[in-house]
Amino acid sequence: MDLILTLGLDALNFALAIVLVAMGLVIIFGLMNVINMAHGELFLLGAYTLVVVQQAGGGFWLGLILAPIVVGLVGLVLEELIIRHVYRRFLDTILATWGISIAIKQAVILGFGPASYTVDAPLQFGVDFLGTTYPAYRLFIMGVAVLVILLTLFVFFRTRFGLAARGVIANRSMAACLGINTRRLDRATFAFGAALAGLAGAVMAPQMSVDPQMGLGFLIPAFLAILTGGGGLTGTLLGASLVGGIDSTFAKLWSPVLAQVVVFAMAIVVIRLFPNGLLGGRGRR
Amino acid sequence: MKRNALVLAAIVWIGFALLPLVVDDWQLLQLAQFMTYGVFAMSLALIWGQAGLLCFGQAIFFGGGAYAMSLVTMGLIPGLPASSWLGLIAAMVLPALFANLLGRFLFYGRGLRGAHFGIVTLAIAVIAERLAINWEFIGGFNGLMGVPPLNLGIGGDLIDGLPVYYAILAVAVIVFALLAAMLSTPFGLALNALRNHEDRAAFLGYDNARLKLAIFTIAAAVAGLSGALFVAQFAFASPTLLGFGLSTEVLIWTALGGKSLLIAAFLGAVVVRVAENFLSEILGPLWLLGLGALFVLCVIFFPRGLIAELLLRLERLLPGGRR
Repeated sequence: MDLILTLGLDALNFALAIVLVAMGLVIIFGLMNVINMAHGELFLLGAYTLVVVQQAGGGFWLGLILAPIVVGLVGLVLEELIIRHVYRRFLDTILATWGISIAIKQAVILGFGPASYTVDAPLQFGVDFLGTTYPAYRLFIMGVAVLVILLTLFVFFRTRFGLAARGVIANRSMAACLGINTRRLDRATFAFGAALAGLAGAVMAPQMSVDPQMGLGFLIPAFLAILTGGGGLTGTLLGASLVGGIDSTFAKLWSPVLAQVVVFAMAIVVIRLFPNGLLGGRGRR
Repeated sequence: MKRNALVLAAIVWIGFALLPLVVDDWQLLQLAQFMTYGVFAMSLALIWGQAGLLCFGQAIFFGGGAYAMSLVTMGLIPGLPASSWLGLIAAMVLPALFANLLGRFLFYGRGLRGAHFGIVTLAIAVIAERLAINWEFIGGFNGLMGVPPLNLGIGGDLIDGLPVYYAILAVAVIVFALLAAMLSTPFGLALNALRNHEDRAAFLGYDNARLKLAIFTIAAAVAGLSGALFVAQFAFASPTLLGFGLSTEVLIWTALGGKSLLIAAFLGAVVVRVAENFLSEILGPLWLLGLGALFVLCVIFFPRGLIAELLLRLERLLPGGRR
């Protein structure tokens, strides 16, 4: 019973972590049709922001607040300098963001060295939960993920910005004709997605070693979650629970390496059989 | 292939053939290694530039070829004699077979397009590297060390700079000529139709899935061959040859050189590696930062690739070129 509960909580924890990373990706992809391969490095920048803040004597919570702001600004600059030039060339957006990811990763290595950092985590105690003890910080991560999901839903369904954004997703040129400034919207969206990646990086940092390679480990699961689920918020939630759940279950019962292989292989099969994702009815390629 | 393009390609190859006059033995060995990367880049240019399939896992086939070559020439396959020729054949057949099976799964039915294909191949490259690290038969994390050099039955083991250089140059020229000839057939034209507008090509009666499968398989065989040539020189097959890092690098070489011209992709790989040799010592980690930035700029402003841009301009200057 204990094992099942811990397994369930671990699975939920990993799934929500993936959602946290995937959310920014899905927003940028849905609205701008840009596949952001640099998302993993924006995540990385969030984690390093936390490192810098802690080295400067600031606390964890200050870092957590600053990370999305800093990374959001980076996103704003990237959009202005690079992304906006390749909007209309779909495959080129992949390559351009890919180049950005290499450059950011290398810049981080230049600034901080290739070695890994550890971050002091707050909330270092266990919480009794239905008869087992579970680390409080993991519960905190899950809480943040749920909060981010709710925040995103709120922004997209209860604000003017969200209404305009949904209009652009549905029909970009019509939205522009109706007077929506799509240029400004794109910029804001990319910055918002980047900020979410930064937040995710800062939140996850205490749980993993902060090193220049950490972005990729989350980028691929996040992509696979989006593709298996079929994009959109519900699709991403479904995909992330599948990817995260299967991965952490297999990792616990078998080995982390095989878990990853199994998850990737299954995701590939699902993507092949349902190119629009499990929930994807709308024919977006 | 247009006449001027052929003339330019011939000039490039003659240039490579004359290089040993000015370059010493050690540098020749390095150049030969870079040329195997060049052949690898041509394989990516073939599916990406010609057929429009952005493959993020081309190193699966390069590494597959490298491992096949190593296993055969080290005599680790029971019942097979340790021969370079057999190794080269295995290094082309195995990746091609794998690509064919994978392609049958990915391209038929509803099929994968664009970014989906890219991300799936990326995931497969990561899986392949993981599996290779955990598979003891092929050396696991440490890889296979002591892969014997090429021995084609003439001139004994190819170790010295000059014979190795010319052997690999010969392979590169043959591969280039065969691929260029293939691309000038109706099959090559159909590939370009596929790249330019998939639905229109299907509407005109082309079997897109079959075209993709064919070119994916051929490109895998070429990548496998380049991997085999690489490992016979490098003498060491490791899981990194299969994975994500090398897949990325070849993408950059091909994009910088020019994905739509085979010769530009080849030059892209060689030039970037030569530049890396000189500059990475001076610049240190700044080199990769600069390369990443250059790659981004190239994607934005010169989507055809820097070397291809140059070659296409030269082509117009030659007599009979379109101005």
